[in-house]
Amino acid sequence: MCKWCMRHGAGGKWYLNARNYSNELAESMNLQAYLEEQWKNFEQVYIRKIMGISSIDLGNKLKMPIIGRILRWSVERMIHSESLNRNPVRADGHFGQVIPIEEAKLIMMNLAAEPIIKNYCMCRMMQKGLKDACCINFGLLSSVIEKLPRFIPENSKLHITREEAVEALKEQNLKGRIATVWFQPVPYINAICSCEVPQCGGLRLRMDFGLYTVYKAEYVAEVNSDLCQGCRSCISRCQFNALRYSPTLERVIIDPIKCFGCGLCRDVCPQKAIILTPREEHPGLKGKY
Amino acid sequence: MGKTKIRINYSKCGNATGGIDPRQCSRCLYICEPAVFIRHPALKVKEENPYDPQYWQVTPVWLSLCTRCLKCVKACPQNAIAITW
Repeated sequence: MCKWCMRHGAGGKWYLNARNYSNELAESMNLQAYLEEQWKNFEQVYIRKIMGISSIDLGNKLKMPIIGRILRWSVERMIHSESLNRNPVRADGHFGQVIPIEEAKLIMMNLAAEPIIKNYCMCRMMQKGLKDACCINFGLLSSVIEKLPRFIPENSKLHITREEAVEALKEQNLKGRIATVWFQPVPYINAICSCEVPQCGGLRLRMDFGLYTVYKAEYVAEVNSDLCQGCRSCISRCQFNALRYSPTLERVIIDPIKCFGCGLCRDVCPQKAIILTPREEHPGLKGKY
Repeated sequence: MGKTKIRINYSKCGNATGGIDPRQCSRCLYICEPAVFIRHPALKVKEENPYDPQYWQVTPVWLSLCTRCLKCVKACPQNAIAITW
């Protein structure tokens, strides 16, 4: 349990707290205007300035001796900003966490605020030029995205029911994409994405630059060595290089430090040899998100 | 590996600066395996409808991840990309 659960979880996980999905919260934070301003030109977020420094070529800038450290601190502060004067033209307070598919289902069926929409993924559109309707947005963000023609899917409907949203998430999960739930801005939750490395903007910053835009799930995968037959079907599903086939042991071994706990490997295992165990129960992984 | 520089000739690519509309092409984005480029609404352009931007640009953002495979240079129909290191 990290500080976001402490602060916004009401005793549990932050994304299972119904208050974070409520329209009352969005209204009290005056988010309609904020999100509209943010989403109008959201693709520009990676070329905007941070502390007067353009974020183009952020990777090399973060490696600079002193400026790099200050920049890293500044970006982290921006991503996790809870202050009242957040800047809508940056990604202030916008970060998320990996969740296994059963928790995504729980959120969609019980917690997500109406209306629910399925729109084109902005990350994939801006980084690959692909139009892929897979992002599930709900609550106030739906009414904001409705006004932006470039995100409206052409061949599928925009407004979907809770059941259709769960089906869509399952379909993406089967394809090999991981479900992530997003604060935007903290503590209001309004999106479940189906992400993939390296196109996902959040995972790009986490995987390549070590910025905490996406936290690891509350779970970690574990292989039961007695059940694993070494078929290797799980390995191609892992986006984080956490799984490896060991020819000596003739089974799959897992690196729990690299594991994000998305559960993609578990879903394809024909032997049901992989299970997700709570991160908190691992002495070495406790508190490491 | 030292720093890689990717220069895009914006008079050929980007409809705000006299080039083609990147939304119709986007081949560099698609072909780049580490996804170095992003396509975004052009900065400092007055849009008729701010909710539906019409002027777009391609910017190489994640230069530190470029593997120098030069696939984007070959793929660009406008010969607008130049890479130096």
